[in-house]
Amino acid sequence: MSPQGVPVRLLRIAIVLAAIFNLLALVVMVRTTPLAFTLFMFVGQPLFVLAFLLLVGAVLADLRARQII
Amino acid sequence: MKAVRRAAILVVLLSPVAVWAQVPGGVPLPQGWIGTTSEWVRGFGIVFAVLNLALLAFAWRSLRGGGVTPTARGWLLVSVGLVPLMIAFLSFAHGLEESATVSSCGSCHVMKPFVEDLRNVKSDSLAATHFKNGYIRENQCYTCHSDYGLAGTIKAKFAGLGHVWRYTTGSYELPIKIASPYPNVRCLGCHGASQKFLNSDGHPKEEMQNLMNGTVQCIACHGPAHPEQKKAALR
Repeated sequence: MSPQGVPVRLLRIAIVLAAIFNLLALVVMVRTTPLAFTLFMFVGQPLFVLAFLLLVGAVLADLRARQII
Repeated sequence: MKAVRRAAILVVLLSPVAVWAQVPGGVPLPQGWIGTTSEWVRGFGIVFAVLNLALLAFAWRSLRGGGVTPTARGWLLVSVGLVPLMIAFLSFAHGLEESATVSSCGSCHVMKPFVEDLRNVKSDSLAATHFKNGYIRENQCYTCHSDYGLAGTIKAKFAGLGHVWRYTTGSYELPIKIASPYPNVRCLGCHGASQKFLNSDGHPKEEMQNLMNGTVQCIACHGPAHPEQKKAALR
């Protein structure tokens, strides 16, 4: 991934989203309450999906910048 | 390599969190020295989640220069792509199982009178009788309040979601009432084939059809399942 092809800010956002997902998962595993599990399912997991999509987008942007695809 | 070593040290240092997280509850079941699958899922989940927080910190640090180096690529792939997949699976498995426990139901204060009665050995309510005699080994609330089969599980989970919503937003009415009449099939799933049920004088043959199709409710004779709620003590 080259600096020109990949907006670093997007990757930073992906890291933050993954970290929030991680914390919610940690809360579920340390002390499960119905609210914690609901938050994990309906907020945490979509955040992870979003982070993953940002990462995939960054990879694609990089490949495009290198004219591989 | 240095960073990996640091992450490993961090995980080892933080792993006692898993021990701290053990929730005490009742008489321990004979689980053997190796523990249960559920405990392993939880333990691995905590270790992976802590490890990934460290990995994310390394990934963030590797982006400092403003460019994406091969090292940063590695950290990102692992910490945003691979390890969270494992965490998602473990948390989902643990959360789903844990959400069926009595302590999970009792974590909402409106449910406390029901759970306290359930655990009260002096209570003669139907729920307490099942609990104190060990008729249902675990997840007693969930077992009696969910239908059988996959559809029953899904229905119960959606109902639980509704409970969380109403509890969190305060959009519920007191006293708490069961949403729909208690179906006999939930009783008969366990009792239906037992000789005690089939040969009981209280269940004459001519009534059996009515019990099976729900025209006569089990709870009408065997209730109340839970004690009546005192309005003053509810909120």
